[in-house]
Amino acid sequence: MANTAPKPVRRSLGDLSEGTLGTLMLLPTAFLLCLIVVYPVGRLVYISLFDWRMNLPNAVPQFIGFEHYIYALTDDPKFWEAVYNTVLITVITVPGALVVGLGLALLANLPFKHRWPTRLALLLPWALPLVFAGLIFRWFFNYDYGLVNDILARFGIGKVLWGTEPNLAFATICLVIIWKSSSFMAMILLAGLQTIPRNLYEAARVDGATPWQCFWKITLPMLMPSIVVALVFRTITAIQTFDIPYAMTGGGPGGTTETLAMYIHKTTIDFLDFGYGSALAMLMFLVSLVATVVYLRIIQGDKE
Amino acid sequence: MSAAAPAPTAHGEAEDKVSRIWLIAAGAAVVVNGMFPALWVLLTSLKTEGELTRVPITYLPVDPTFQNYLTAFAAQPLARFFFNSVVVAALSTILTLVVSALAAYAISRLRIRFKNVVLSVIVAVSMFPLISLMVPLFQTMRALGLLNTYAALVLPYTVLNLPVCILILVSFFNAIPRDLENAAMIDGCTRLGALFKVVLPLTAPGVFTAGIISFVNAWDEFLLALSFTSSMQMRTLPVGITLYQGEFAFPWPIISAALIVAIVPIAIVIVIFQERVVSGLTAGGVKG
Repeated sequence: MANTAPKPVRRSLGDLSEGTLGTLMLLPTAFLLCLIVVYPVGRLVYISLFDWRMNLPNAVPQFIGFEHYIYALTDDPKFWEAVYNTVLITVITVPGALVVGLGLALLANLPFKHRWPTRLALLLPWALPLVFAGLIFRWFFNYDYGLVNDILARFGIGKVLWGTEPNLAFATICLVIIWKSSSFMAMILLAGLQTIPRNLYEAARVDGATPWQCFWKITLPMLMPSIVVALVFRTITAIQTFDIPYAMTGGGPGGTTETLAMYIHKTTIDFLDFGYGSALAMLMFLVSLVATVVYLRIIQGDKE
Repeated sequence: MSAAAPAPTAHGEAEDKVSRIWLIAAGAAVVVNGMFPALWVLLTSLKTEGELTRVPITYLPVDPTFQNYLTAFAAQPLARFFFNSVVVAALSTILTLVVSALAAYAISRLRIRFKNVVLSVIVAVSMFPLISLMVPLFQTMRALGLLNTYAALVLPYTVLNLPVCILILVSFFNAIPRDLENAAMIDGCTRLGALFKVVLPLTAPGVFTAGIISFVNAWDEFLLALSFTSSMQMRTLPVGITLYQGEFAFPWPIISAALIVAIVPIAIVIVIFQERVVSGLTAGGVKG
């Protein structure tokens, strides 16, 4: 953070230390970021270049260069399956959460007499830990006693094995992620909706615009900045998906719902292969980096 | 699972009866979507194991019982999990607010050119997926002797929340005229004094929003809590609740009871602060 160097202060009340004070005030942030992010990232790069396995007693870490990376990219079908699952979850749940979230936001923005029930209903899923959401929906989709199969049975449709058929397991995971993430999306969009001036709609109505036209010509364009921020933010978290599949399927059946984060966790914590796990983590970080750069571009583009 | 009612355009007037019905249906759709999972868990938590395995399943508990709650507290140190979660979330929220208030104030009052660079660096650095830093973070925490302490979770959670909180607070601070602080400083206040006595009270909604978001994110976190705590006494709620499941058995009524114990307090917090969260997002968060 070299750019926080003290600099002369133009107008202030004889307080020459404003710049120094600014630097001092940024120090706690800088310290925490160095301790929790910058130094560990350096370590991560370092470890990823070694054959570093903790499950072999007395094994000395051996420098192997980029072998882990080459292995992951060219020779590890599990890695590619995890990447595929993660990308699929991202491309399904991010637009899915946007559509559902937009619907919820539009509904919650209607002129209700009491606003708190809808607000609470948007905030509760957001505040619910991901693991809890996974567990609750696992219970919903339980084969013998779950609510979903019960309703299907009442309609004369047979029971469905949600957890053991790969495509169904994957679909239910996506559904839960959409349910969980659409509420925060809806809150951000609701906040955006409330900043749209009312008289725009009134003017449009005077000109004979239908509600449908109002949505496409006024609401959506005015909402775009909020939508973009929400989308990119969601994308970055979707790449890190872990909790919900972990709680619902544990990655099964047969690794068909295992995400990249789960694969990294398994490699490092279960198999204690720190070297390979670190290389995988670096690859995941690179994917997130691309998303972050896009995010920053958009934020800064907004401010110009 | 999404809202079923059609979405009329915002700001429509609800005058006649038909649109009143649509209005109620729309509200009900939002409420049901948000509440039904928690409601179903509540109903499950009041059923006996015997009732749970009845076919076809019952919706309302036939013979409501609180036994599952007693079992939930007896089978695992649920109260301890709860206490740990509160301590970790509260400590990291306080630390996040102090650190981000200082940084946001500095960014807000430095020259524009640097503002964006510093802000970008902070956001970029803390956007690193913490999941991918598990191994080096684990080793760092072990080297510092922090494994199985609150600090092992409080520090990463603080970093997790820093960018969002700094962004929110910067946009709130920018809206406060400098004259107010200058006036305070003429009256003998220091810069820091002005921050804590003038700026922060004036931006209370933003501080609240940042605080609630920090608290919920810390309350929610699972993976680091799972990896950095191994002693039963240090587990947080999200990790603790997964411990009820056996190798093959899933004691759903007991898990449901534990879930309700974990959900209700945060729901109460949200009922109290809901207005502030939404208005804070409107005022600050959206601008990103």
